[in-house]
Amino acid sequence: MWTIRRAILLLGFFLAAPAPGAAETRHATGPAEDGIGLLAAGKGAAETHAACTSCHSERIVIQQGLPRQQWDELLDWMVDEHGMAPLRGRLRDTVLDYLAGQYGRDRPNYPSR
Amino acid sequence: MPRNPRTTQGLHAFFAAHPEEAHRQFFKPGLSRRGFFAGAGLATAGGLLGMTIPHYAHMPQGLVPAAFADEELLVGKDGLVLLNDRPINAETPAHLLDDAVTPTARHFIRNNGIPPEETDPGNWTLRVDGLVANPLTLAISDLQQAFEVVTMALTIECGGNGRAFFDPPARGNQWTLGAVACSAWTGVRLADVLRKAEPAPGVVYTAHYGADTHLSGDPDRLPISRGVPIAKAMTDNVLVAFAMNGNPLHRQNGAPLRLVVPGWPGSCSQKWLTRIELRDQVHDGPKMTGTSYRVPRYPVAPGDEVPKEDFEIIERMPVKSLVTFPRNDSRAGRSVEVRGHAWSGDRTVGAVDLSVDFGASWMRTELDPPVNAGAWQNWRRTVEFPEAGYYEVWARATDSAGDMQPFGIDWNPKGYLNNSMHRVALRVT
Repeated sequence: MWTIRRAILLLGFFLAAPAPGAAETRHATGPAEDGIGLLAAGKGAAETHAACTSCHSERIVIQQGLPRQQWDELLDWMVDEHGMAPLRGRLRDTVLDYLAGQYGRDRPNYPSR
Repeated sequence: MPRNPRTTQGLHAFFAAHPEEAHRQFFKPGLSRRGFFAGAGLATAGGLLGMTIPHYAHMPQGLVPAAFADEELLVGKDGLVLLNDRPINAETPAHLLDDAVTPTARHFIRNNGIPPEETDPGNWTLRVDGLVANPLTLAISDLQQAFEVVTMALTIECGGNGRAFFDPPARGNQWTLGAVACSAWTGVRLADVLRKAEPAPGVVYTAHYGADTHLSGDPDRLPISRGVPIAKAMTDNVLVAFAMNGNPLHRQNGAPLRLVVPGWPGSCSQKWLTRIELRDQVHDGPKMTGTSYRVPRYPVAPGDEVPKEDFEIIERMPVKSLVTFPRNDSRAGRSVEVRGHAWSGDRTVGAVDLSVDFGASWMRTELDPPVNAGAWQNWRRTVEFPEAGYYEVWARATDSAGDMQPFGIDWNPKGYLNNSMHRVALRVT
């Protein structure tokens, strides 16, 4: 019984993901400023959603208020401690710029409810 | 065994037949969700729902279908505020914590991983091993028969309760006031169980293990495994609990078996408990090390960076109180009964005082003794307001060691131990 319930629950989370091709469409044709799921609109929202939500909900992301350096350390911690696939190069910069801009110490999007 | 649900069979059937494998695949870090949809398709999604979603094109991204949200996330809970849905974390607004003993529906949820599928108490076993002369494997029925069963009201507070008020912000769930509760727990004393296992002389620490799974789906990772010094474990009010308020444990509160370690960070109270290991060193499981559940061992300024080696493990939680009536920012007449709870880890509370003039003067409340060691204490006082207008009621507890709640936050990098005074706004008419 719980197995089926978990499947249903998981489906709910998958529905929170971008529709097929959504990330690519946004990236290619813009505007890149759309929000995804509960993430605030801004350049890099799609990339951030994809990077963060394979293990956990974006609800934990949107609660935070951290400067870029601490987001950077948090990504390292996710890789070292929780088995996250590392983000490299421009993708990592895009995600860090987005997180520090939308969920920085000045907390422009908090509280979200 | 099929390895790829997207090519071998429907998702529904795959989950039913291979829950662990399905879990691992879908929570594998880096797995593209687009892949999921591209492969399984909306037809399968509709199959899971039991029907199609005619207006799927208009369904907002990020929307968890209301039926799922209600049924799955906070079933059996009443009025909790959801902080996170994967893993589930939810707190209780202060005014809903008014009961002397917290109803199950009002007990907060702090999960680190995904709760286990199978929680049948008839199939559950607890292993006690490590540095013991007599390792034990006990069914819940064995616990009930071999040891004295006790019921105690016990306070559990998350180490990060109050983190939301930190400035600069500290990372983690932004708990405000309601990651605390005092329910009636029924179980056996951990001390009795450990004595039967005959701890070796060199034991210094316990290590707790639960059946929840890591968010990544990796079966080799534990979401959390913490412990306590052996002396704390041998305290008479630390329980291995199988009932909550007279009923089986709530699934999100650790059914069918958990530890309850009152007065210490809630993370010591391992949920879905399967094993207790006794060790000759401080336990080093996930969330025991680094800066998890640790604070600097000296005072720091807000925003200071603190070297990792200067952090120490949090043990008892500090003295604190909560106003549960009236509700913050409510209207009131000139005479109001103000009430709430107060607690202090491993200690009792000696006094709770109220101020309605921003701390210039204080009045003592009527304070009940704890119903048992480890229970919060209930207090009340009828307050007369001299004239209509805006007031703040501040509550300040003082514990048996003379420690008093501060007005400001003793800031630390990870946002723990915020025991600053609770302030409740009242518009008196």
